[in-house]
Amino acid sequence: MAIIQSNQQIAQGIWRMAISGAPTGRAGQFFMLRVPGAVNLLLGRPISICQSDAGTGETTFVYQTVGRGTAQFATLKPGQEIDAQGPYGNGFSLKEGHTVIIGGGIGTAPLLQLAKELRVGDPDRRIDVYLGFREESYLENAFELYADSVTVKRGGFVTGDVDFSLNAQYYACGPAPMLRAVANAAEKANATLFLSLEKHMACGVGACLGCTCQTNGGRKRICKDGPVFDYREVRDAI
Amino acid sequence: MPSSPLCLSLCGVALQNPVIAASGTFGFGHEYAEILDVSRLGGISGKGLTLHGSAGNKGVRVYETPAGMLNSIGMENPGVQHFVDREAAFMRALGPAVIANLGGHCEEDYLEGTRLLNGADIDILELNISCPNVKAGGMALGMLPDTAADITRKVKAVSRHPVMVKLSPNASELVRVARACQEAGADALSLVNTILGMAIDVKEKCAVFDNIYAGLSGPAILPIALRMVHQVAHAVSIPVVGLGGIASAEDALKFMMAGARAVQIGTMSFANPSAMLEVIDGLAGYCASEGLSNLQEIVGII
Ligand SMILES: Cc1cc2nc3c(=O)[nH]c(=O)nc-3n(C[C@H](O)[C@H](O)[C@H](O)COP(=O)(O)OP(=O)(O)OC[C@H]3O[C@@H](n4cnc5c(N)ncnc54)[C@H](O)[C@@H]3O)c2cc1C
Ligand SMILES: Cc1cc2nc3c(=O)[nH]c(=O)nc-3n(C[C@H](O)[C@H](O)[C@H](O)COP(=O)(O)O)c2cc1C
Ligand code: FES
Repeated sequence: MAIIQSNQQIAQGIWRMAISGAPTGRAGQFFMLRVPGAVNLLLGRPISICQSDAGTGETTFVYQTVGRGTAQFATLKPGQEIDAQGPYGNGFSLKEGHTVIIGGGIGTAPLLQLAKELRVGDPDRRIDVYLGFREESYLENAFELYADSVTVKRGGFVTGDVDFSLNAQYYACGPAPMLRAVANAAEKANATLFLSLEKHMACGVGACLGCTCQTNGGRKRICKDGPVFDYREVRDAI
Repeated sequence: MPSSPLCLSLCGVALQNPVIAASGTFGFGHEYAEILDVSRLGGISGKGLTLHGSAGNKGVRVYETPAGMLNSIGMENPGVQHFVDREAAFMRALGPAVIANLGGHCEEDYLEGTRLLNGADIDILELNISCPNVKAGGMALGMLPDTAADITRKVKAVSRHPVMVKLSPNASELVRVARACQEAGADALSLVNTILGMAIDVKEKCAVFDNIYAGLSGPAILPIALRMVHQVAHAVSIPVVGLGGIASAEDALKFMMAGARAVQIGTMSFANPSAMLEVIDGLAGYCASEGLSNLQEIVGII
């Protein structure tokens, strides 16, 4: 059982929770989080790794309170136990060279650990980050630590600001309309783009087939074969 | 060495304990084998198969409800032949008894599926006439005594494996369906499959599931499932396997006291992947504290 180290609101409806005592994972992986003993709230909630520190064993999540489960997370206090199953999922595969990261809303959360791993892997590469928020922004200061540029847009899509014709790798996570816009732009420019997808999940390990999607390579499970996919594979799923 | 107090025989198949992974909640065992010792289970019922396989339903497929969940997977599966060629041997190597769960859209699909499964090294064929998430066939066959008996008889005539018929809690005359399956030659019965339910997204003013209705499972359905197992177990002489919302050894004991020789656990594995192992340990502890030489002594005491 993992222990909550901190759990604080960082923006309207947005919380950051740090836990220890769970195995640490990589950027793009997620945990199924659940308050132990809460049979009423039965299923774990998939929440991405926002920051992971193998040294201290701490994992940080940033989550938005949207319903019953995440509202319950927001009531948890440091020292309390939380059931953190994982890390699950494939995670981002780290490519070399210039990288462009595009996040929308709470979809920015998993991209922070990505920026960190890319920076640690190559101190000299260029990393440009574009973040879009409906209202209040968050995490942009944390991205400054790893990125060469951070562009933040409040209200409207940030995608319009991104140049897809660069000789770079693109990574995106955010609401479905944003992912579709990014995929369309990447297709026109023939860019390399990886997307992190989400779907309702029950098991998180690939056993229930609750989260499958149609890909070029047949049916795939977002929790186990994803959540990160090459956009070309999942055009029909977004 | 004396035999374990948890061991039993189900349709002539030796199980090391009465805890079986429920169909559709455990894949074919690969995924959970990565995170827990699945060799300790009594049995594994694989994902429901259909003759030609299926991509399943579109839209939202799983949705939590108070103490339970609704699912509308729609029998996504790789087809019977894929199972025979690629999965059955893997399941056998895991150790627990191998149960193949067979669904279908029409009689001919069931019979051809049964013939193909004759070529696989499995222990029991679980005949699924109770899936609420496929349009034709599926649950329809399990709703009435006559259709349930008819398909059971025909599958029995073809199958070289013992046949356990999985019953639907949505049948209005469940006990008559159970008796009809017994008379048609079923070797065992398992119940319950999911209970037909529904969810509505009030904000979007629409049904959550593309199929509108979906199957309810988990602790929320336990009292209903328990009552049905009790009714059926008292009406038939063939073994009954009970399931529906089991989360603990105590829950498993309730089903056994109500008449189930063995139990299956589904939804609870999602919430807690080690739930089944905890139940096995709890049942062993119960035998020790109650001084039972075999857990089967409590079957049907109520
Ligand atoms: C791989 C993955 C990573 C994610 N990472 C994050 C993250 O880092 N931060 C964050 O805030 N959110 C993240 N999400 C979304 C998050 O899982 C949902 O917001 C959360 O499950 C909602 O739970 P709830 O009980 O508050 O909402 P409710 O609407 O009450 O939930 C009801 C049910 O629907 C499911 N559900 C509802 N919305 C979603 C959704 N968008 N995606 C998946 N399941 C949903 C819930 O898990 C629950 O089972 C991620 C989703 C996935 C699939
Ligand atoms: C996601 C999911 C998929 C299922 N798929 C099947 C299936 O393929 N075949 C079947 O006979 N039952 C299927 N079931 C029903 C379960 O095997 C079981 O009968 C039901 O969930 C009740 O048990 P539980 O409350 O322990 O989950 C499925 C259940 C769930 C939750
Ligand atoms: S959530 Fe169960 S297969 Fe992905």
